[in-house]
Amino acid sequence: MTIATLTRPWEAMSYGFLDASAKRELRRKMLKAIAVPGCQMPYASREVPMARGWGTGGLQVTLTLLKPSSVVKVIDQGADDSVNAASIRSFLSKVSGARETWDTTEATLIQSRHRIPEERLRGDQVLVLQVPNPEPLRPVEPNMSVARQMHADADYGRLWLILYEQIVRSGRVMQGAAYPSLVNGRHVITPSPIPRWDVPKLHMAQHLTFLSAGREKRLYAVPPFTKVEPLVFSDVPYQVEDHAALTCHRSGVTGYFMNEIPQDDGSSQFELSDSHLGIKAIRRAEGEGGRIGPTWYENGKMPQ
Amino acid sequence: MAYVATRGGERAIDQSERLYRAELGRIDAARVAEIRHALPMLIDRVMGEASLYEPDLAALALAQSGGDLYEAVLLLRAWRTTQPRLTIADPVLQDQLFTHRRISAAFKDIPGGQILGPSLDYAHRILATDVLRGVPFVPPPVDPAPVAAPAQQPSLAAWQKAQGLVADPARADVAPDDIPDLTREPLLFPAKRAHTLQSLARADTGGMLALGYSAMRGYGNAHPTVNELRLAEAEVRVRHPSGTVFSAGRVKVSQAEVTSKGKSGLLELGFCATLGWNEVKVISGATLDLNAPGAAKGSPVEEEFFLYHTEPVEASGFCIHFKLPHYVTFQSSLDALRGAKAAAPIEPEKVPA
Repeated sequence: MTIATLTRPWEAMSYGFLDASAKRELRRKMLKAIAVPGCQMPYASREVPMARGWGTGGLQVTLTLLKPSSVVKVIDQGADDSVNAASIRSFLSKVSGARETWDTTEATLIQSRHRIPEERLRGDQVLVLQVPNPEPLRPVEPNMSVARQMHADADYGRLWLILYEQIVRSGRVMQGAAYPSLVNGRHVITPSPIPRWDVPKLHMAQHLTFLSAGREKRLYAVPPFTKVEPLVFSDVPYQVEDHAALTCHRSGVTGYFMNEIPQDDGSSQFELSDSHLGIKAIRRAEGEGGRIGPTWYENGKMPQ
Repeated sequence: MAYVATRGGERAIDQSERLYRAELGRIDAARVAEIRHALPMLIDRVMGEASLYEPDLAALALAQSGGDLYEAVLLLRAWRTTQPRLTIADPVLQDQLFTHRRISAAFKDIPGGQILGPSLDYAHRILATDVLRGVPFVPPPVDPAPVAAPAQQPSLAAWQKAQGLVADPARADVAPDDIPDLTREPLLFPAKRAHTLQSLARADTGGMLALGYSAMRGYGNAHPTVNELRLAEAEVRVRHPSGTVFSAGRVKVSQAEVTSKGKSGLLELGFCATLGWNEVKVISGATLDLNAPGAAKGSPVEEEFFLYHTEPVEASGFCIHFKLPHYVTFQSSLDALRGAKAAAPIEPEKVPA
């Protein structure tokens, strides 16, 4: 046996960019995160060739999950063609050889910033959400050491208080995106800044979701078939954005989350936030075929 | 077809990057070498913040980023991620450093002596505008001292410990592989001492100065006196698989130790060291370290506060991430705002007559 037979030729970088020890650490933390749903697992978080706060947490989880046969989709605020999504997607395929797609139903791995696709995810798909701030308690407790203790004690009273104060002041809960939600009846998470519209998609879902914050060095998971319940008072029901009746001016589709496009005359037009769903709807309308998968919302409503 | 799925995004980012690079023009070995030789202090700063000591790579990173320090540090850190770890060097001991500069403000004279070494501290900061008119600035030659200062200097704190001025905790030897490593473990609080020192060593110079200065101005609870400041070179001593220990070369290091009178009747010390020569950073870092014990939660001298907020890659990255589109998040807030407005139209406030 010689050294030469035990070593490989020098390569500029590892498969999937991250070195083996980084991937191993991530895999361990990802398994822990699945074992304790919603509990934030600290991890070392390596520097990747992208600025912190631009999806480096999601990227590290995706890089760890990637294999040559993966089919990867990257979403930024609902769109596949936004500059950062395009940049992340091309990086992922460059370092792994994985195929790129815009189609939710084709993807095995979906990395997303701030949206969950409208088409229902299956058990063979993994969703990776980029998280700017993983700590739901940050608004009430900026100190992370104290916040960790509060999670350990399931001490969420001050979060309820915020929601109560909003109702007293404004007549309704004013939380926009990133609605604090209880996972598996134990840990409150911030579901990342997805709109309220998307939170119910995590509840008892078939797919596994990883939420990863690279800058803050925390990752947590919502395993398949796990309860995810937005924090609400029993007499003030959870309200998603009032988009059920809006129609996309490009595709004519109604009943999904929309982007508002202000017009010169002071009115607004709307377009589907899930950009590729819009493309598929247009293609179908023009007789080009293409399959739209079953969606979580039907006629603007989430079936109970 | 009414709607074509364009790849406009990709085209746009490609051109945007080209525009930036066009401004910088051709980067070749000569440019990198010139940066390396002309800007040693900048190279040191970038190497320290990147926690990667390689002057040629640091010069290359500066060339590629056009001198944007945060971009240069990110380039180096991302490159560092791809590199295997070969070995762990022996600890560097103070009295074995090849010391260029070593001063103490706490004493008029100290064992081993005050060694000024290279410094602009006493210079008149006047622009040499003649250079722009074609008259090169040629530095006057250095007159060597009749007796050269010893290359190695004792540790001042060791002398203070012997005098009973400073507490002397028992040495805790850690096996090389067991040294906590900030680049391979997350920073958690209360932080391990090794993590704190590594985090200070990698911290953003400007950020550390801002927070350290706030402590110096009275937002801390201890006023620093520079006990010992050193600019030195350290041998990187590593062990060959055959067991031989050899020097793999030298790296420039800076370290500062600041002190103040503690409540226990002893002197308390704050410490900070970094790769490269960077006095402002190590004095600021040592000041924060000195002030950290017992600091109120959320104050700038609390360890959690200053370590999180002086991380250059995290801070700069998060700052510029606000340029990313946020319309989904904004839409969600807007919906809540409109809903509340519709339910309760805001009455204009009545001005009392």
